[in-house]
Amino acid sequence: MTEDELLQRIAQTLKQEIGPAIDAEYPKTQAFMAGVVLQKLSRQLGVAARHQAAERADLDALLADLNHTARDLPLPAEMQTSLERLTRDRNKAAVCGLIEALYSSRNALGAEHFTVLLARVRQTLRANIDRQVEYAA
Amino acid sequence: MSDRDDSTILQGRIIEYLRSRLPDATDLTLQNVQRIAVGWSHETWLFDLDYRTAGEARHLGLCLRRDPGNALLRHLSDLEQQFCVLQCLEHTALPTPKPYWFERDTAILDAPFLVMEKVRGSCPNPWGRDGRAYYQAAAERGALPKSFTTTLATMHTLDWRAAGLDFLGVPAAGTDFARREISKWRELIALSEHSPEPILTDLICWLEDNIPATDRVTLVHGAYRTGNFLIHDDQISAVLDWELQVLGDPMYDVAYVLSDLNREGTPLLSNLVEREAFFRDYEAATGFVIDEAACRYYNALYAMRSVAFWMSASGLYAAGRSNDIRLARTAWSVPVVLERAARDLGY
Repeated sequence: MTEDELLQRIAQTLKQEIGPAIDAEYPKTQAFMAGVVLQKLSRQLGVAARHQAAERADLDALLADLNHTARDLPLPAEMQTSLERLTRDRNKAAVCGLIEALYSSRNALGAEHFTVLLARVRQTLRANIDRQVEYAA
Repeated sequence: MSDRDDSTILQGRIIEYLRSRLPDATDLTLQNVQRIAVGWSHETWLFDLDYRTAGEARHLGLCLRRDPGNALLRHLSDLEQQFCVLQCLEHTALPTPKPYWFERDTAILDAPFLVMEKVRGSCPNPWGRDGRAYYQAAAERGALPKSFTTTLATMHTLDWRAAGLDFLGVPAAGTDFARREISKWRELIALSEHSPEPILTDLICWLEDNIPATDRVTLVHGAYRTGNFLIHDDQISAVLDWELQVLGDPMYDVAYVLSDLNREGTPLLSNLVEREAFFRDYEAATGFVIDEAACRYYNALYAMRSVAFWMSASGLYAAGRSNDIRLARTAWSVPVVLERAARDLGY
């Protein structure tokens, strides 16, 4: 039995056996909710490896596209710095930094480039959130 | 100690407190004590107080709200402010519970608390099957939808200065109102210590870039929907949940009413009101024209607020400040709201 399958079984036990055996409303709800949490964790764990690989690939593609753009169109300093940070750190905080830099460089970039770059970043964000919703919804 | 023991001890302390507040009263007893399991913030207790004064039997229906210090809204949810708001609204046309006492002394009941009138009426849960059926039937009868809209209009047209509500903070004309809200929810997000979320960053940047200007300032409830008021005889007998109120653009409330977050698979706004009737009756009663562009903006702001709520809630559980597993579960609500926000932003 894998770890996610084990969590799934415990979740079922909580929801189908332990919860119904409790009379008091508050602990009964808590038992049921613990089952829901374990179920979500189980699903998250089950897809974690596939999601991490997809996330890495998406980030590689985003960085390639942004660096390509940066060669054709010199980016404002703040954007350039945040792009370098994202290349180095490859984490959510660095993506957030890039988005903030994008918005604050809006005037320097011009409306057209701003829209194109934002759409490219959002493409990555969309793919990522679709994956998260697989287990969160 | 069991929940029952806790409750019995608390009831004894409540009677002691009420005795101090009603020094002429004798033979005080609490009847029909009930802790209601609603909300994410304060403990709410309902009970009937029977007592005698000058030889006469008296009866008082009361509601006690206690702040255990781990409210989802953290310091933004302040019982004293709720009490002051209820005091200000007591003599207005808006139906609200009469406030009796507020105590910040934690020696009395271990936490600050307020005592207010237990208003006659019921509050069916709009998210459950029975609640949905209740509102559907009420929608068909027609009186409650009308009451829903006129009560909101009453709130938006009341003289908040005369009522003394300016202590809530008066936004300047222009973009100040939305800026204050963004700043408030930013603060809650920061307190949650949640890891950064790029879609949230995008949403906040977009919100800051697109703030609608307004010079309308009214009392805004902040969560006006079915489930947040009491109903008696198909009329709203009391507007509840005074935790998110602000002075600001009434379209903030209207956006909440229009939001499809507050209806479960029904075209009826808040599971209750036909859209066309709401527009017609609200505009006639307030003299405001519903600004749908502003409402769309505020809808995005509500997405930010929802994310702030869920980050705060799951953060309280993660930090060991609450043992309520419902809060842990909200960690998975964050991506769901962000996915919706991304769609609202066009991706």
